[in-house]
Amino acid sequence: MKRSPLRDLLERNGAVFRERYGTEVVGRFGPRLSEHTAVRDAIGLSDFSWVRAYSLPEEKGIDFLDGLVAGNVPKIRFGRLLHTFLADTGGNLLGDCYVANNDQEFLFLCESIIADTEFDRLMEEAGAAEAGAVDLAGTHALLSLDGFRAWEIVKKLFGPDVLGLPYLSIENYTFQGQPVRLVRAGKTSEFGYWLLAPVAAAPALFLACQSEVEQRRGRLCGVDVHDDLRLEGRFFNIHAEGRRVRDPLVLGLQWMIDFEKERFLGCAAIRSRRAAGLHRKLIGLAAEPEEDALRGGARVFHDGAPVAEVVASSFSALLNRRLALAPFPIALAYSGLPFRLGAPDGPVVRSISLPPILPKSLSVKLDEM
Amino acid sequence: MASLIAERAPIIHALKEELIRRLNLPFTPEDIHEDISLLGSGLGLDSLDALEIVLGIEHCFQVRIPDENIAVLRSINTVVDYVLAQRNQTGGPA
Repeated sequence: MKRSPLRDLLERNGAVFRERYGTEVVGRFGPRLSEHTAVRDAIGLSDFSWVRAYSLPEEKGIDFLDGLVAGNVPKIRFGRLLHTFLADTGGNLLGDCYVANNDQEFLFLCESIIADTEFDRLMEEAGAAEAGAVDLAGTHALLSLDGFRAWEIVKKLFGPDVLGLPYLSIENYTFQGQPVRLVRAGKTSEFGYWLLAPVAAAPALFLACQSEVEQRRGRLCGVDVHDDLRLEGRFFNIHAEGRRVRDPLVLGLQWMIDFEKERFLGCAAIRSRRAAGLHRKLIGLAAEPEEDALRGGARVFHDGAPVAEVVASSFSALLNRRLALAPFPIALAYSGLPFRLGAPDGPVVRSISLPPILPKSLSVKLDEM
Repeated sequence: MASLIAERAPIIHALKEELIRRLNLPFTPEDIHEDISLLGSGLGLDSLDALEIVLGIEHCFQVRIPDENIAVLRSINTVVDYVLAQRNQTGGPA
């Protein structure tokens, strides 16, 4: 099983490991609620080294990646990121991806839901070797800093210029003489930064971040709490609704697709489904505060008949209630509607507008940083 | 339930049409999910686009979005919630 280059450090800090798609990840370090509070009120530091990462030379990388992912790679401006997805030939999701135009390279970062061996095979068959793709697994670690105060740490580590980076951008810095790629991204709706560092510098970078995080009442976080944070912030979660639904159109990911592009993996199947028209659409649900049954697999009823099944759910500490996502028939896919949970006479749940929260980070002004 | 949908659906459709027209988005209204983020991720619109969106909303629905209420622009659904709330306050569409 693939393990993080930072495993020893993580273990010493009390990481509770678990397996996901054949890779070892940190599920949590402590209580999930504490990790959630850390991100919403301060900062969370997570090890994201399980994300597949590749560096490709600019010239060959553009064509290769453009034929692979659904978004338009040649249109990515210098220093910016494209958020898109990777699908199989049937148009079913395999990964949630960032593609970055970074100086002379294109960086491909993918949260995949398939085993590494399968991912490796897909990349090989797509021509990764011919495109000069270098797999950064094992040679690099990826840290994720997320939270209301995350900007304070990157400012301290890399200087105030970091604050000028827009969302979905990339910049190169050094840490102890080693190159660090800083990706302004994140999927929590708070400030988010991914730091991709060579293993020679990664442990020291992790410790430096950890020290700064803990001085600000933040803490180490596992991947489990990111499921809660993504749902609260209505960021697409490939590991929850993505893994269960797989159809990017039902998931509302049309914005990740360039429909005018000639080719990408799964394009024929996706175009065909688009032309046939959408029959279901993912919408949000919220339970009453005391209601605990809004969980994955629960059926949702309307007029005595089941109309949807929950594919992702979490407890929102901010809203003090469970939230969920379920693919509803188009005619019922509106927010503000009452449904019954579990049975025709079950408790009432309501469809809601997403995102349901206002993150603290939205209140931070650039001139106050 | 039918009345809630009947109230909401035309606003959603008009807003999507307005966004596509004003911002020249390469999508059909059916392609745009009501919950996707308008700014940053999602449609990836920037602050200039945000200004266009505000103008579009104000033009289409005769409501005003104050600067301090910019969080309304989180998604199409949050905009629709705002428009409906404003209409309820003023007693119906202008």
